[in-house]
Amino acid sequence: MSGRVIVITSGKGGVGKTTASANIGTALAKAGNKVVMIDTDIGLRNLDLLLGLENRIVYTIVDVVEERCKLKQALVKDKKNPNLCLLAAAQTRDKSAVTEEQLKDICEKLKKDYDFILVDCPAGIEQGFQNAVAGATEAIVVTTPEMSAVRDADRIIGLLEAKEEIESYRLLLNRVRPNLIKSKDMMSVEDVVEILSADLIGIIPEDTGIITSTNKGEPIVNDEKSLAGRAYTNVAKRIMGEEVEFMNLEEETSVVAKVKKFFKGLMVKEK
Amino acid sequence: MIINHDGREKMEKGYIENGFIVDFSNARKTSEIIYELSRILDIPEAQNKQVCLKLGNVSLTQPELTSIKALVESMDSKIEFISTNSPETIDSARALSIEISELENVMEAPDFEMEPAVSPEVENALDKIFGDNDFDKEEDEPQKQVKEIDASQGFIEEEEDDDEETVLMKSEAEKLPTLYIKRTIRSGQSITSDGNLVIIGDVNPGAEIIAKGDITVWGILGGIAHAGAEGNTQARIRALKMNAIQLRIAEVFARRPDGINTPFVQKTNEFIPEEAKTYKKNIIINKLTEN
Repeated sequence: MSGRVIVITSGKGGVGKTTASANIGTALAKAGNKVVMIDTDIGLRNLDLLLGLENRIVYTIVDVVEERCKLKQALVKDKKNPNLCLLAAAQTRDKSAVTEEQLKDICEKLKKDYDFILVDCPAGIEQGFQNAVAGATEAIVVTTPEMSAVRDADRIIGLLEAKEEIESYRLLLNRVRPNLIKSKDMMSVEDVVEILSADLIGIIPEDTGIITSTNKGEPIVNDEKSLAGRAYTNVAKRIMGEEVEFMNLEEETSVVAKVKKFFKGLMVKEK
Repeated sequence: MIINHDGREKMEKGYIENGFIVDFSNARKTSEIIYELSRILDIPEAQNKQVCLKLGNVSLTQPELTSIKALVESMDSKIEFISTNSPETIDSARALSIEISELENVMEAPDFEMEPAVSPEVENALDKIFGDNDFDKEEDEPQKQVKEIDASQGFIEEEEDDDEETVLMKSEAEKLPTLYIKRTIRSGQSITSDGNLVIIGDVNPGAEIIAKGDITVWGILGGIAHAGAEGNTQARIRALKMNAIQLRIAEVFARRPDGINTPFVQKTNEFIPEEAKTYKKNIIINKLTEN
């Protein structure tokens, strides 16, 4: 078996890299793939929290690199899905604890046993980014429809294009709010795609459910009713090579809008 | 403190708060019980303490039990409760309004790692994380283990060599230097002490504190604490509020149950100090209440 190594990156912080990693990883594993997630955000790790695995971490990637344990020992299995596991980052160290070569080496070893290796990249373009990208052959660039995030994504895409190992990259547009796009207060999906001239792999609507899911340590893809959850499942399907149409977010929300209008109308009448 | 029926002191202080269990399940005669009891209660440490009698299959008539009760009271102690399998003894105890208890109730079931395993998947996952050794299985079936302790006569069969080692380990912490820190330990920070470690302040999630000896946190312990890092299984971890993601004592691990695995620490002003220690390769936590 030779797994695919996909790095999830963005440049700018807070756009949802880690949330995307947790959800795409979980969705891929739910579809029956063997998935390992690597948190490379050493010193500011979060992926374990989002997956609810914090209390299970005994060894981290730094322990593996410094040979205090074997790679297999450091892989924390998910609570629900045995196909999914996490290689956590160390919290008490910094990015310099791991080198590009070492990460490449870890990815090579994991390729043999896993279908997908998702690397959650830290924000920034320094050592942490260089490490995360080192072992990857594909990239998902996460961005939001904001000028600053798009600008940073552009910078990241430039860096990715300069790397020979990265064969392809695709864009994940996060926190999209159809209402704001409609009222021209937010950049549209088309605008972002045009600015970055990159292929889309998914559009994720803004969803308050993300906040609760993060706090619970339960990825939102496990909630089948959630719009964002379904959007992430679609992203996973596209990664696996299926052709899935992009959800029409406007239609999805318009039902809610219609109901709201209906009630508003009622209230006006009563007045 | 558990004292078995030939009077030999055994480990496990604080097993019952302010009291001890005396095991008479092997006694053959009432006179034997009375003799041993008077000998044990004569030890200075035993005075003004509550006594719990483990009577096993020993049958006691009401007069016999009355005299035992009188003896205990004459020695400035009190029978807290008894445990027995004999119907006659149960009847006698009821008549004297002595509480009857199964011994498993004696040990306060610590609410930390003692949650029963949720599902085989979780169990499986646990094995994968911590390796497949015995300790994990025990951790997954803590209630069962508590019962096992009571059912066996294991208290008596402890090896003496072990005991000496235990005693040495117990006294080790007192001889070590102590690192005293008065601030909040935040995520990503790591404090290591060659001796004991005292922290006045909180230890936030994501922080780790490691000590060769005991660890005492005057605040909320929310990170990872590792006491007895060089193998002292008798090391203790104390905190005003135990909310640790993981506790480690020597080679023994315990993790916070998933049910309360939330990133929020409930701030409260009502603290009941807690102490963690190892017991048969498990970590148990006792609330340090006055009673």
